[in-house]
Amino acid sequence: MPDWRGIVRHRLTPLRVGEKRQEDIVADLAGHLEDLCEDLVRQGKSESEAVQFALSTVADWDELRVRCAAQEEDVMNYRVRALWLPGACTSALSMLLLRWFQGMSPAPPVIWVWHGTFLVIYWRWLLCLPLIGAFGAYWSRRAGGQLLERVVAASLHILGLTCLMALTFCIALVIDFRVSLSLRLVGFAVYVLGWGITPCFLLLLGALPFLRGDAAESGQAAASH
Amino acid sequence: MKDLMVSIGPQIKRGSAELAILSVLAEGPLHGYQIAKRIEHQTRGLLRFNLASLYPLLYRMEKRGWVKGTWEDPPGGRRRRYYRLAPAGRRRLVPLREEWARFFQALNRLAGVTRA
Repeated sequence: MPDWRGIVRHRLTPLRVGEKRQEDIVADLAGHLEDLCEDLVRQGKSESEAVQFALSTVADWDELRVRCAAQEEDVMNYRVRALWLPGACTSALSMLLLRWFQGMSPAPPVIWVWHGTFLVIYWRWLLCLPLIGAFGAYWSRRAGGQLLERVVAASLHILGLTCLMALTFCIALVIDFRVSLSLRLVGFAVYVLGWGITPCFLLLLGALPFLRGDAAESGQAAASH
Repeated sequence: MKDLMVSIGPQIKRGSAELAILSVLAEGPLHGYQIAKRIEHQTRGLLRFNLASLYPLLYRMEKRGWVKGTWEDPPGGRRRRYYRLAPAGRRRLVPLREEWARFFQALNRLAGVTRA
């Protein structure tokens, strides 16, 4: 039997993928050709006929090379299309609206919670969030996003903000001893409720109709372009 | 009509190929050649995959997290990359089967109307 790995490597490389991935692909395809060739020999073909037939199953190695490499790029594009792009746009839209509403009068109501801990209720912004969430999830679904991608695309900025708050709280726990722990805990809880849980709930409420349904058709259509 | 066929052609082709691969992998892990043989056997030769049509699709499905490929050395066999259905692939298989069932129902209904 010929050196299938060598044959495949010679015809398929260089692939525009990492070195390890390239070796995986070469070994994978070589294994396929080897199995096919052995099957043909078992069926009564001579070895040279079997080798020729196995090689003839790939009409165009250049096209195969491009198609194998394209899967790596496609997924990168797919993630950008289905997650990062809609997520970034909903984030930008949400932040712009928040900034706009912050400058509007009358000033938004403030809820004083405990010992100086307060929460500003940007109710106009909160009312817009279901629409923004719907926009993000719809876009992600159109781009072929699965459930998790649609959820993240709809609520990316709030998830990021919540992570940032958690990080800030952890740092404050270590370095800030002037404020009591209970006050810091209350402050953190209030901020998570006001800037994390509530906006996230509203975003996902708007996203809900677009979390169902299948992304495959539109996603594959987009991916095939 | 021609435009319609052009636009749905690749989707149907790819969708049916994905369904075929996910379906055989739902029965257990297989390496690439076994996947091709299993599909050919179960469809009595109607669907055939060769190296050029199977592997780009497998890699695509792997990148999407629908299947997972791992190198294995079966006892008495050669080292091969075995593909198994990932949880995301199992989830993907359910609506895919439903879509294709609906698609064939629609074609059946259409064919019935045409015959009437």
